[in-house]
Amino acid sequence: MSLLKIAWRSIQHRGLGSLLTIISMALGVMMVVSVLSINGLVSESFRSNSSFGYDLIVGARGGGTQLTLSSVFYLGKTVETVPYEYYLAFCDQKTRAVEFRNSIAVRANTEQQRAIEALNSVRTHPVGGGWGAIAEELAAGFHSRQQIEFMQIDERGLFSNYVNFAIPILLGDTYQIEDSDAYFKACATNKNFFELLTLSNKQKFTFAQGRPFDDADAEVGYFGCVMGSAVARASGKKIGDQIKVTHGIPGTSAAHLHDQLFTIVGILDPTGTPNDKVVFVNMEGFYLINDHVKPIEEEVGIKFGQNDEDEAEQEKPAAVDEPGVELTDEQLATVRLPVEQRELTALLVSVYDEEGFGITSQYLQQPIEQGNLASTLSWSQFRPLQAQTSAQCVNPVQEVAKLFAFFVAPAKWILLALTTLICIVSGLSILVGIYNSMSQRHHEIAVMRALGARRSHVMLIMLAEAILLSLAGGALGWFGGHTLNAALSPIVENQTGVPVRFWDLAPPEQIFSLLQPALGNSEFAAEIVKFQMSPELLLIPGLILLAVLVGVYPAISAYRTDVAKSLGK
Amino acid sequence: MLSLKNVKKTFTQPDGSKTQILDVPEYSLAAGEQAVLIGPSGCGKTTLLHIIAGITRPTSGSVKIDNVEITKFSEAVCDRIRANKLGYVFQTFNLLPAFTALENVMLGMTFSSGRASSSRARELLERVGLGHRLNSRPKTMSVGEQQRVAVARALANRPKILLADEPTANVDPANQQHVIDLIRENCRKENVALLIVTHAMEVSNQFSRVDRLDQINLVVANARGVA
Repeated sequence: MSLLKIAWRSIQHRGLGSLLTIISMALGVMMVVSVLSINGLVSESFRSNSSFGYDLIVGARGGGTQLTLSSVFYLGKTVETVPYEYYLAFCDQKTRAVEFRNSIAVRANTEQQRAIEALNSVRTHPVGGGWGAIAEELAAGFHSRQQIEFMQIDERGLFSNYVNFAIPILLGDTYQIEDSDAYFKACATNKNFFELLTLSNKQKFTFAQGRPFDDADAEVGYFGCVMGSAVARASGKKIGDQIKVTHGIPGTSAAHLHDQLFTIVGILDPTGTPNDKVVFVNMEGFYLINDHVKPIEEEVGIKFGQNDEDEAEQEKPAAVDEPGVELTDEQLATVRLPVEQRELTALLVSVYDEEGFGITSQYLQQPIEQGNLASTLSWSQFRPLQAQTSAQCVNPVQEVAKLFAFFVAPAKWILLALTTLICIVSGLSILVGIYNSMSQRHHEIAVMRALGARRSHVMLIMLAEAILLSLAGGALGWFGGHTLNAALSPIVENQTGVPVRFWDLAPPEQIFSLLQPALGNSEFAAEIVKFQMSPELLLIPGLILLAVLVGVYPAISAYRTDVAKSLGK
Repeated sequence: MLSLKNVKKTFTQPDGSKTQILDVPEYSLAAGEQAVLIGPSGCGKTTLLHIIAGITRPTSGSVKIDNVEITKFSEAVCDRIRANKLGYVFQTFNLLPAFTALENVMLGMTFSSGRASSSRARELLERVGLGHRLNSRPKTMSVGEQQRVAVARALANRPKILLADEPTANVDPANQQHVIDLIRENCRKENVALLIVTHAMEVSNQFSRVDRLDQINLVVANARGVA
């Protein structure tokens, strides 16, 4: 019969005491496992979501962290906006041409109307009579022609050679579930968001139902939207349903519900990212919501959108002739907003970096930070009043790393320290459990000694008992912890977008990095520090070590048992 | 098989004074021999057994088991000798409550050099009439059954000497004879020397060799002489 079996029999014999000790240890381990798994998975998700297949985020000057949090994780206050022309600086010739043609068409229509108005006011103009007014309009027309030449329609964007793609996003609106306080962020973008961006596992977005919206969608025009999986689950919406978005955060004073209806054309599969909790609306439709039409320095007197039907009927500009896009008369009722009236929150930029050294990213960051993008605005005399012309360009990976270093990592260590303390207290319960039964054990030990057991035997039996109790508690705690994870998964997923499955171990980490100061700077030390493993795997040696530490005292006590005296008891 | 010469044992009292309780000039037991050591309470019977078993070290003197002088060895070696060459039947049986009858018997082999064989344990339990109680725990067994398990356990490691300390003291009169018969019969079968310590005359009367410890132990003898 092995010493291990003798120890196990002893545990069985003290059934209730052993069970309570195991449960105490299990509770400690359960908390450690839960904290490690959920914190690790959420952190991993936080890290991996910052490399979504883009390398840089361009947005209004301000905090880089704020820009990253709002653009990548849809968290916090949305940053200021930048002019839409900044997006065009990253676009190819064709995209720019379409956008600028649209602006020219709108401008031409505007000037035509203004000329008519000028002729009507000939008789009433205060300076030089009606001729003065005509001269002014002629000058304005000349100026517009100059602008058109300056727009360089046939040129590619300033930075287009350096990027694979740039995707504009607009934030600030929300979708509140009907008859509920629950709301989700809305993100206006174009279909490239779904077609070009990749998730952390290099997979593209996939649709559980439906499809992405087109910029000018054959079915729903400009007013299509796609729901993230968590939003669809929470709202119970399906393809074809229509939703309204709220301007701002529901419940705040500035918030109000837009009248514009967006039709759901697609529902995304779960991605384990914050995108699961977002409603993506077509940027073109988003711009056409009445109060998203940005005022410009020179009032052109044009309003778009279906909300102001009376005015829109009268002031509707001419349709843009876009090659390859066939719209019905009804869809043409709304025309794309001209470039100079558009703003955006951020640009997600994937740089062309064949060598993979990140040199292109660094090369792009500098001129953007120095304000080179502002030069792209010189074609137009019109300026969006609210957009910032000074832009910043941040590397989301670096921003997330900074955020991690300052906030997330220390929080994790604090949680871990607390749960480790709980484990140590649980370990002490093993000591107390064994210690309380020592008087009875001394007799049993003496009997074993009389049967030939050496001091080392009884010492090992006591240690084995402590280790078995610890491992049994650890196994129960591990199972309980992962069961808790699986049970909490819907809540965690709802809050973070990360589903936690039963078998998900805490993600691998450089667990020996804390030992670096003690290990020194040798090559061997560097290899040890670089080594990654799931911290959960440390539980097994950790529990054995803890058991040995708490088992030492009873083991020594067993070692010192006076056989002759204890046999007589 | 067993040879004691000038074995003395002195205990130090809490006040620092020393009290000698044992002084045995000579005592021996041949292989397979069966003897009874009798004496009144307090004459050092259990202490002598502990010294023979290597549990307690004599203050001086020689103790040889199977011609091995155990007093010269370390405690660990004494433990090994005890595990391999001695069997011990206690007055209170001292079965471990966590283990079944079979496991208690196997425990007698666990610390010896040989392998703990369940077939040997089973055979011994069948021999003492407990083949049907192999998986019973001590608390579910009668006192007589418990003592029979203790006898089987003492023989499990094929000892050279079996020491029995008042083996019938806690057994009801109906079972006392049965227990003594079991011990004697099995020791005879396995050629094990038997030394029973008792103060029960009905036990000692059955043995051809009966030694009085109050005569062998000079401390007690002298005290009586003085008295």
